[in-house]
Amino acid sequence: MPLDTSIYPLALLRLDGRRWNELRRIHAQVSVQAAADGSSYLEMGNTRVICVVLGPAEGKDKGQRGAREGEAKVGVEIAVAGFSGMERRRRVGNKRTSEMQHCLSTAFSSLLFTHLYPHSTISISIHILSQDGSLLAACLNAATLALIDAGIPMSDYLTACTVASSASSSSSDTATSDPLLDLNGLEEQELPFLTIGAVGEKVSVLMLETRVRMERVEGMLAVGVEGCKRVRAILDGVVRTYEKKFG
Amino acid sequence: MPPSQAALVSLSPAELSYLRSTLLQVPPIRLDHTKGPKDFRSMRAEYDVLPGANGSARIALEDGLEALVGVKAEVEKSQWRPTPAGRASRLSVAAGDVEMKDGDEEDDGQGKGQVSWVEMSVEIPGFRDDDALPVFLASMLTESLLSSGELKDRLYINSRFHWKLYIDILLLSPALSYPLALLSMTTHLALLTSRLPALKSEKDEDPLFDDDWDASVPLYPKEKGKGTGSKPVDRPPVIVLAMAIGQNIIFDPCKEELAVADAVLAIACSSSKTSSTGSRIISIRTIDPPSHLTPPGVPNSMNSATGGVAPASSADALTQRELLATSGVWTPPRGGMKRGLIGQVVKMVVETGGVAEEVIDALQAIEVG
Repeated sequence: MPLDTSIYPLALLRLDGRRWNELRRIHAQVSVQAAADGSSYLEMGNTRVICVVLGPAEGKDKGQRGAREGEAKVGVEIAVAGFSGMERRRRVGNKRTSEMQHCLSTAFSSLLFTHLYPHSTISISIHILSQDGSLLAACLNAATLALIDAGIPMSDYLTACTVASSASSSSSDTATSDPLLDLNGLEEQELPFLTIGAVGEKVSVLMLETRVRMERVEGMLAVGVEGCKRVRAILDGVVRTYEKKFG
Repeated sequence: MPPSQAALVSLSPAELSYLRSTLLQVPPIRLDHTKGPKDFRSMRAEYDVLPGANGSARIALEDGLEALVGVKAEVEKSQWRPTPAGRASRLSVAAGDVEMKDGDEEDDGQGKGQVSWVEMSVEIPGFRDDDALPVFLASMLTESLLSSGELKDRLYINSRFHWKLYIDILLLSPALSYPLALLSMTTHLALLTSRLPALKSEKDEDPLFDDDWDASVPLYPKEKGKGTGSKPVDRPPVIVLAMAIGQNIIFDPCKEELAVADAVLAIACSSSKTSSTGSRIISIRTIDPPSHLTPPGVPNSMNSATGGVAPASSADALTQRELLATSGVWTPPRGGMKRGLIGQVVKMVVETGGVAEEVIDALQAIEVG
């Protein structure tokens, strides 16, 4: 169903009317929940995510109170709400969510200054309320905001976005194969894409689940890093306005 | 029903005793001393928060308890079931006696709804699906929702199809206090603002819907006309939590107050049908308060360290405790609630301008304003 790939070269406009390098509307709030140590709410287009951070605190389960000697353990739990997709489903995609959990946990273990909190656990729980593409990217961005709200020191924002290669992998003309930034659900189904998470200029998370031609990857990465920079500016703005209001 | 593990608070017997004595004052001094016995915790509520659901609502209480409800409706094929009327018409057709029926009678789904058309799930962080707390909460909420029967009849499309309503309740924060009242209020708001696409096909055709969302019909229909007062004809029920302590009745208790309660009642009520004010009771349930599990204090007279005499046997200890029940040393409350007190609670809930009417009107006002 090459819906996008057939229309795109004509007007250079995507399904929802964006150009190749435009992000969807990102709206975020921090400190949305009084009971948690840190929390955030993030909308990237129609993808909506709530993230709650508890800790650093002594872990609940015996035996895994802290992870390794002298470092905090980062536990991630992702719950996909039954009403989040087009059709209502109970317990959606266990394999997929556990992969995302692992991805977030490793990404934030290396980003946070976990050595400051030995023998403790930082638990991040994410509720996916509505999904429309760029799910992993939204989770990463929401978790970054919630961790900042919780006051856990980290070196820089970890921001993420998705990039696709617009031409299908078989076509050979490279003239119209712009990389596309920040995909929605429909585009994600059709195009090969990668999720990129960057700390400053450095790539920290990179997830590619589909086939894509070798020579396109570099362009995609360049656009992705640029997109992450813009997401960072938006998230930074959210944190700063919150600071001004309540800080 | 069993108390939830999450509702346990770590207060010492002395603290519990102090809390109880302040709540026993007339009027009671609550933990949040600015609140009277009928005051609810302040809340922030919004509806239509999810783009992909038929209805949704989110309510956050001041103490951090937060719930989100999404309502999703899907068209499902009904199983054909023989009804007495249907069978009779079939027989008469078979006998060659064809009779034309009035179309109006067949189309409203009066009494045709089924309980299985509404499915509810409650998710609470830290609990599994099949743990006692989520299962009890879900069944209590479904029970009160289906009691009137009007909701399930409204899901009827035609003899072959119906709407299946999925109500998913998420508690976004840990279960700090007993979350029943919050979940019920959030569900109420979500259902009140739910809309179903308008039906374009007629009678027993395959259902075809108007794709214009502006033309959609609310799940709980509103009265037409009368300018500002667009009150819905029927509104979903709401559950309020009331707690008795001595002769005092306190509504919407917080976690610490529940820990010293004599008895807790969950009262499901909906707006009354006959008059525009007041409300009617749908069900009442007692809830085992977490106070039954608190540890008792040891009075000086029973403590050998403070010059008392330790009781020789456990039976002895029981009798001594019985005698000391009013001495101010904390003993977990036992027994239930007096009938007079239940009557008083019910009256406070259903009377004109009572608690139930206030809650339902407040939730209605969120949608209007």
